[in-house]
Amino acid sequence: MNRLRLEPWLGALLLTLLLIPTVRHGMEASMWRHMLVQAPAWMWVGALLAAALPSRACAMVARWNAYGIAGLIGAAAVLAVLMVPRVLDLALLRADVESVKLLALLGAGAALRLSWRPAGLVLQFFFLGNMLAMMVVVGQLYIDSPLRLCNAYLLDDQARLGRWLIGVAALLGTAWLAWAFWQLVRREAALALQQAAS
Amino acid sequence: MLRTAIVSTLLLLGAYAAASWLTYDFQVWTDEGARRLEVALRPVAPPPARVEGPRVPGAELTALLTEPGGVTIADFIYTDCQTVCLTLGSTFQQLQAALQADAAAAGTPAGVRLLSISFDRQRDDPAALRAYAQRLNADPALWRFVRVPDGAQEQALLRRLGVVVVPDGRGDYEHNAALLVFDRSGRMVRVFDLAEQQLALDYARHLARQAGPRIGS
Repeated sequence: MNRLRLEPWLGALLLTLLLIPTVRHGMEASMWRHMLVQAPAWMWVGALLAAALPSRACAMVARWNAYGIAGLIGAAAVLAVLMVPRVLDLALLRADVESVKLLALLGAGAALRLSWRPAGLVLQFFFLGNMLAMMVVVGQLYIDSPLRLCNAYLLDDQARLGRWLIGVAALLGTAWLAWAFWQLVRREAALALQQAAS
Repeated sequence: MLRTAIVSTLLLLGAYAAASWLTYDFQVWTDEGARRLEVALRPVAPPPARVEGPRVPGAELTALLTEPGGVTIADFIYTDCQTVCLTLGSTFQQLQAALQADAAAAGTPAGVRLLSISFDRQRDDPAALRAYAQRLNADPALWRFVRVPDGAQEQALLRRLGVVVVPDGRGDYEHNAALLVFDRSGRMVRVFDLAEQQLALDYARHLARQAGPRIGS
């Protein structure tokens, strides 16, 4: 309970930090930081702020978000659109695109938080199976491309981002599999205990 | 469940609309692609910028581009460049050879000129540009070299024409090198990739012919 009350404040603090122009420009100065530091940071803020939702609002959201499907689809859509290389260039040139991008990341983070548990292991697997595969494909594309896909960033920066995208995807995939395995083991143990008791 | 389906559909439609807007109906994925498409749809007039170089003692870029004698294929360079500009140099050498052959065959000057604009105004003074032109065997009647001495005008020009220059931290630059075709009224009408050299040449020739009889210089 205590943790839940603390989270929105942490989110607000982090948001203030991320809004400082120097921090924002620093994160956008290189392609890999733009995609792999800024994007997760804003999603994390979204997830933290979602903890501030009162339980009545949560219940209402849940009615429109059965099994977390709408939330996962929304988050997947945001991440897929943000993988278009043109977004990175446009975000640097146009304030409106930058604002929409950051708000979408906040929303995606909040949606993931509100949808992850209701989704269950099967839907989570489906979501990650799509997202992580997309990250790997885009990453490989960035590594292999002899052309710069963003005018504002250097070619070796792009290749580094590609390698990191694949690395992060592998890491997230492994972490989720370990977590899912642990969940299943715990569930089985609880089941066995129940049967032994009855 | 119905409500979830409705929200999900709306979210997907929103993402589709956003992606479609970003990619001009899924035609381009990069900002460079979008820039080339936008230029083809809406020609871009360069902002006021005074340029100078060997044999160009100081003139408005637009005046240079609208001088009688034809359309212009331009590129952005810096003379210290060891990578993509070398390709650009040889691309322009081949264009020059083709234009000289055109002129020899027709007996009149070709209706297409070449212009290399430096974005490294500190290092590329007229003397450096002259040395560079000599290194490339540039024909002064056909191929000119200029820089924009004023920093603010240079930035405005690069921005308007969509040229992005990124210092690579080792004293060099990476930039979206391309062949820019300007029509007789000095507007950038097309941006071609370096690999599309023949296409750029043919397009410029076509433009030069289309604009009526050539004015001899």
